[in-house]
Amino acid sequence: MRADLGHRLRALFRRDTVERELDEELRLHLEHEIEKRLAAGMGRDEAIRQAHLALGGFDQIREAHRDARGISFVESVLQDLRYGGRTMRRAPLFAMTAVATIALSTAAIATVLTLAHTLFVQRLPVQRPSELVAVSGTRIRWNPERLAVREAERVRILGPVSYPDYVSFRDRTRTLSGLAAHYPTAPLFVTANGNVKEINGAAVSANFFRLLGLEPVLGRFFHEPEDQVPDRDRVAVISSNLWRTWFAASPDAVGSHLRINSVDFTIVGIAASDFVGTTPVPIEVYIPTMMLRVGYRWCDDALAADCSVLQMIGRLAPGQTVASAAAEMPTLMPASWLHARAGENSGVAVTDVRGMSEDDDEPRLVAMLAAVAFLLLAVCCANLAGLSTAQSAARAGEFAIRLSLGAGARRVVRQVSTEWLMVGAAGGIGGVVLSRLFIGMLAAAFFTVDDEGHPLRYLFGQPPAIAAITIGAALVAALVISVGPALRVARRTGVSDATPRSTAARRIPGAWLLGVQAAAAVAMVSVAALLAAGARTMVTGRNYDATHLAVLRVRPRLLKYPPERAQRFQRDVVQRLAAVPSVESVSMVGVGTVLNGGATAIALPSWTGQQVRARFNEIGPDYFATLQTPLISGREFDAGDVVSSPHVAVVNQTLAARLWPDGQALGATLLVSKTPHRVVGIVEDIRLGSRAALPESWVYTPFWQNPAEIDSRLAIRIAGDPAAMLPALVREVNRVDPDVPISEAITMPIQLEGLMRPARIGAAFVGYTAALAVLLTGIGLFGVLSFAVARRTREIGIRMALGAARARIVRAIVRDGLLVVGSGAVAGIGAAQAATRLVTHLLYGSAAADWLYYVAAAALVVIVGASACIAPARRAAGVEPAVALRSD
Amino acid sequence: MADRSQKIDLPQGTLDLLILKALALEPQHGWAISDRIQQISKDALRVQQGSLYPALHRLERRGWIKAEWGASDNNRRAKFYALTRSGRKQLDAQAEAWRTLTAAVALLLDTA
Repeated sequence: MRADLGHRLRALFRRDTVERELDEELRLHLEHEIEKRLAAGMGRDEAIRQAHLALGGFDQIREAHRDARGISFVESVLQDLRYGGRTMRRAPLFAMTAVATIALSTAAIATVLTLAHTLFVQRLPVQRPSELVAVSGTRIRWNPERLAVREAERVRILGPVSYPDYVSFRDRTRTLSGLAAHYPTAPLFVTANGNVKEINGAAVSANFFRLLGLEPVLGRFFHEPEDQVPDRDRVAVISSNLWRTWFAASPDAVGSHLRINSVDFTIVGIAASDFVGTTPVPIEVYIPTMMLRVGYRWCDDALAADCSVLQMIGRLAPGQTVASAAAEMPTLMPASWLHARAGENSGVAVTDVRGMSEDDDEPRLVAMLAAVAFLLLAVCCANLAGLSTAQSAARAGEFAIRLSLGAGARRVVRQVSTEWLMVGAAGGIGGVVLSRLFIGMLAAAFFTVDDEGHPLRYLFGQPPAIAAITIGAALVAALVISVGPALRVARRTGVSDATPRSTAARRIPGAWLLGVQAAAAVAMVSVAALLAAGARTMVTGRNYDATHLAVLRVRPRLLKYPPERAQRFQRDVVQRLAAVPSVESVSMVGVGTVLNGGATAIALPSWTGQQVRARFNEIGPDYFATLQTPLISGREFDAGDVVSSPHVAVVNQTLAARLWPDGQALGATLLVSKTPHRVVGIVEDIRLGSRAALPESWVYTPFWQNPAEIDSRLAIRIAGDPAAMLPALVREVNRVDPDVPISEAITMPIQLEGLMRPARIGAAFVGYTAALAVLLTGIGLFGVLSFAVARRTREIGIRMALGAARARIVRAIVRDGLLVVGSGAVAGIGAAQAATRLVTHLLYGSAAADWLYYVAAAALVVIVGASACIAPARRAAGVEPAVALRSD
Repeated sequence: MADRSQKIDLPQGTLDLLILKALALEPQHGWAISDRIQQISKDALRVQQGSLYPALHRLERRGWIKAEWGASDNNRRAKFYALTRSGRKQLDAQAEAWRTLTAAVALLLDTA
């Protein structure tokens, strides 16, 4: 056995030596044969001839000998690889096109898979992350539009818990070896070492770091006693990032002071840089949960049972599973949860801690992208299959020679497959490399800043499995592509045997493949354009124009300003900003973002106890003028709508039509949160939802009629570029009160781009695949037409000799090409309509102009197809009958 | 000139037996093996060169013979094949099997 293996290995690795030795043996043998015959008295020439005859062909012996060596398979694969390399060197353009095509399309697959992995699969970069579980409260989501919701229609959503809730789970669980609480997105106004900034912080229980298995870079994390008495232990841990940027990585940072929301803290440790939090918003400062009152200002007491702000993360005890923890948790639920109202925690869920996705729509987006990526690979297969048909026909001669020299058909088929597998492997590897680049671009374009301008940090990781899947997909694609040419070889019929026939479909081999490519290209171009246009629609149009809007979020609440002081500040700010040159108008909102507020309960006075939910915001005077939202009737709020004046409201058209179908909305009374308001204006709908979303009811009340307002988001219309004005606007606010934190200073278009992230990712990704698909269609048509012209040179020559005009020949070629691409493009319009329906949830704005996009996309593909016809048609026109007829 | 016996395909494994037997006396190089088989069989058996060398390497791979470079009669570098211990055992076993087989076949042919 060992002899056998040694022999085989020697044969494999010392191949040249083994072959040389064999040749030497055979030569010696031949000499002996000759000598024997000479000795028998034969003439020298005759002896040599006879000896050669007796010995037989050297090559056959060698081949048989190779089989006996038992390395034939490996060796012939090596030989195929060498042949393949030679083939590629001989036709480098074809090989490069094929490799590049596969690389560019598999890169899309690797990119989507990496995105999916990062968003949904990847574990936290902590110790034994697979043991971690998230424990959340579950609640029934408010359905804003309906009164009665059947149980089946209720959607349970995950929600945070209060500190006492957390303690009740933490102290009694047996399935978890530990349970930590954290509030990972606390906007903290931090002053240290001469720096002032609102940064993202986290309030974490003292066991948080230990539970995750994290080690500080410097100093220490929190001790248990530091997280037991509310408001007492003012200790903080800062991130490596903050340590570097604010403290120049000085060891003196530990022990130094930090003001968080005007409370002094001592830095006790520096967190390592590999773990930046459980969400994409990196955590820069950690404080103990007992200091939550400093970090969270929305509840009167952030540590009370009615303030649900904390998330819980636990580590499974040895032998426990997510299922066993999920079974235990409901038994530990606080008693108050049993009679929870809608919107409050009434159940508990245990989930795996995976991925960084925070958006419920992201799975659908990524699934769409994956479908597009695989469609692109299919298009690439179709393209290369068409090109390889042409190429293999051109190589029919080579294969015929190899077959007649005694190579088995199977051997030649294997050679063809090997060549394609080489192309596939190179393409797949190229795709993986390229995907790293794409991921970087994707991350930089869409995953670095949120819609409030705050930095995000997604840890994009590409595990080896994704590289393997990508290369595997490339190899499968290569095998699929090689089936056509391989079958042709196996049947020993070259395409050159085929006689040209009359229909275009037969004139162009693989015409239907090209048609399918053209159709896919049209669909992809349409969808990409619609996604991009939809995302742009969100900036301008839809009854508002955000192009020239700047947004400032001023937060006196972080400084615990009482409402009177805060409102004085807000008034001064609006006055000052309105006086800045090139500021056209200034308004503000009290709830949420400028366009996207909150929700409230509304009712008509005639209803008995019933209420419905409507979207809601508290807005300053000139809000609709600033947004350029048309008023349908009545007026918008002005300086006269104050706390002491009668309560007024503005409703949008949808709400007006819903509550007052007879058109009597103006002057009617509407209960907003049970307080009567007189409707003084009706405005057009500001539609923020996608095409799939129904129009929403909106009610607006005056910012200045709510005496409790403290914070605001200011909307400022600028004559010119709002980005250029931001520093001046910030300076102006600082002049009113330098202490008040400005937590957002951003332009509205950028903010909307953040909100439009899924549509923009879709547009960029589908745009990429669409460009590639269009290009491939062009290349495919060019290749196939060139081949067809080359094959029909003789026929064209005969036609010309018989008097056909050159123009007619050109027309025939172009007609053939355009017929294929044109019919594909028409089919593509149908495909585009179907594809549009699949992405309705990502499309914004009216569908009325969609057909324009379809037609434009089809026209683009046809134009590219027509340009691809030019060179082959010119070649056909250049055929010289005399030359063509002599060619074979 | 072409021998009739040459046309008879040697049964599978027979060539191996012949080679082993030819090497039983002393190490030989390839041509000498075929020459010896031809001589001893009085030209009845002629080994196809195309099968000799593959067979030699098959046997070498099985470890029944081993090859060494040496000088031939006319002082040329030649590859000499020699029986190994397991090759000798193999020869005995195969020869015994062959005798049993031929005796049985002969018996059958004679009585039938």
